[in-house]
Amino acid sequence: MKELEAMLIAFRESTRCDAGVWSTRPGGGALDIVARSSPRLLPPDTLPDANAGTSVTANGGTMIVAAVPGVKRTWLAIAPCDEDAPPAGHHLKMLLPFVAQVLRGTQEVEHAAIELAERYEEINLLYTIGDILGRTVTLEEAAATILTEISETVGARHGSILVHEPATDSLHVVAAIGADTDTALPIAVDDPDCVSARVFRTQHPLTVEAGEMECEAERPYRRGEMLSVPIMWTTPSGGEPLGVVNLSDRRSRQPYSAGDQKLVAAIATQIGTAIQNARLVRSSLEQQRLLQEMYLAHDLQMKLLPKTSIVAPQAQVAARVVPAESVGGDFYHLFRMPNYRTGVMIGDVSGHGYRAALIMALAMSASAIHAQSAADPGQVLSLIFGSLREELSSTEMYISVFFGVIEHRESTLRYANTGHPHAFIVPAEGEPRRLAAGAPPLGLSEDVPASSTERWRAGDDLLVLFTDGISDARNAAGERLGERAVLDRIVEMRAGAPEAIVESVFELLREHCGDIPSPDDLTLLVLRT
Amino acid sequence: MSFAITRQGEVVVVDVEGQLIVGNRQELKQKVLDELEKGAKQFLIDFSQTGYIDSSGLGVLVSLSKKIREQGGELRLANLNDDLQTLFELTKLDTLFQISDTRERALESF
Repeated sequence: MKELEAMLIAFRESTRCDAGVWSTRPGGGALDIVARSSPRLLPPDTLPDANAGTSVTANGGTMIVAAVPGVKRTWLAIAPCDEDAPPAGHHLKMLLPFVAQVLRGTQEVEHAAIELAERYEEINLLYTIGDILGRTVTLEEAAATILTEISETVGARHGSILVHEPATDSLHVVAAIGADTDTALPIAVDDPDCVSARVFRTQHPLTVEAGEMECEAERPYRRGEMLSVPIMWTTPSGGEPLGVVNLSDRRSRQPYSAGDQKLVAAIATQIGTAIQNARLVRSSLEQQRLLQEMYLAHDLQMKLLPKTSIVAPQAQVAARVVPAESVGGDFYHLFRMPNYRTGVMIGDVSGHGYRAALIMALAMSASAIHAQSAADPGQVLSLIFGSLREELSSTEMYISVFFGVIEHRESTLRYANTGHPHAFIVPAEGEPRRLAAGAPPLGLSEDVPASSTERWRAGDDLLVLFTDGISDARNAAGERLGERAVLDRIVEMRAGAPEAIVESVFELLREHCGDIPSPDDLTLLVLRT
Repeated sequence: MSFAITRQGEVVVVDVEGQLIVGNRQELKQKVLDELEKGAKQFLIDFSQTGYIDSSGLGVLVSLSKKIREQGGELRLANLNDDLQTLFELTKLDTLFQISDTRERALESF
């Protein structure tokens, strides 16, 4: 206050009276010196109530004291004067307006400087947050740094960032100042007492006074008054609340202003972007992992299926399995058996996807164990059912299976069919013959399936097995391809190699269905001896 | 796609509208089991409004049939369209159920 001191010294030189300016702190207490004409000048003992100049006793003499107009809690005192003359009232009247003007000017400059510093800090904060969001990947890391920066800027010593978890419909602390995030309690969105829950619900900022809406969960990061602002994610269709920022325990003890609220809301939008980015990154990583696992599962399942060459040269086989999802419940199996026999099996586990795939894997291993433990195909299927009974019953699933054994020396095909609708002998000439089911699918009946025998003409006959995914395939108009169309194509191609026939049927499927993905697993096996 | 449940005397009649597939089979199962729990013994599922039954739908029918039998009751099916009738025959599921051409015949046979 050099200007004011120079003015008071000039005043003393012209009037030979000392003068000083004192201020009191908010709430009263001791007087602080602002400026004075002489270091020996002491403050007045008492202050007048009114604004008008009042004589008071001080420094062992009389002082005239008056409040400075327009400047809060500030007082001008004149005295003593040389030769112990009491100061004249007109001295005060002359000096007071000048002191007031100088003080008000100084205060305005101070306010402007503070305002400028605050704006600078806010701009700096926005830059810092942009920088944090560019560098960090995890939500927790970004939230902790943003909370520290924002608390520094508004001078809050306690605070928190809570993020909404849709699964539990509650708010979880991801960053906190003054509390441990690991032990902080989540807040249910419908909690009636907690400030965070209300702000999340209403999507409007809220400042609560000390003692107002106190709740146990917020106690660790709240001291007295608290400013709570929703974190919003703005979408073209509107805003969606993602969480809440809380700030409390201000160093300045000043209440939060509308400007503070605006600043925190702006930052909250940035936090919203960070949360949404973190979620997108996480879900994209998860999807990638899931996709890799699905490819792996598909490869593993396809490896369970035997190579068609294991029954060569007695039989030439072509087979294709296309699961509706990455894995499915369709399978085939081939067995090179003693005494010039070839075993062939097709199976369709009810449903598709992972549940069906697990049963399929069990059925594959059970059939490998039992295929040669009985001479009769019906007995083999009964043994396979015995191994799978518990799994099928507990999952309410079942398997349609066809198992045939070609006796090359006898020229017969002996088979058993439990509920498999599409098994045929396609002869070199004439109509295909259905190898009909003799029992319902495995899992639906306890009876041992009956076996039947058909004549087998090596070189002429084709054994054709397919699952209902192929005959039930629908086009865009919802029309089924149908068993007849599949058989017609096979009859048309029957002179060709099994591979060519399989390829031709899948070509027919593509012609019928176009790009429509099949809802069911597709399997076709063609065998010639 | 829905299941309408009505009573014809002692018989609980379930009409399946649309499809009986993996997505709605549990709903059918629950509705029938609820009736079984309440003491009903005779059940008729009418497929006159049904276009398609997938393999999991068939699984539920068999499972319901077993559960009803365990309680001393009976499940019958009626009005299978040609495709469904062929499917039941080809898979030998027709040996597991009493299947009638019409609702009236199915009701008379209880």
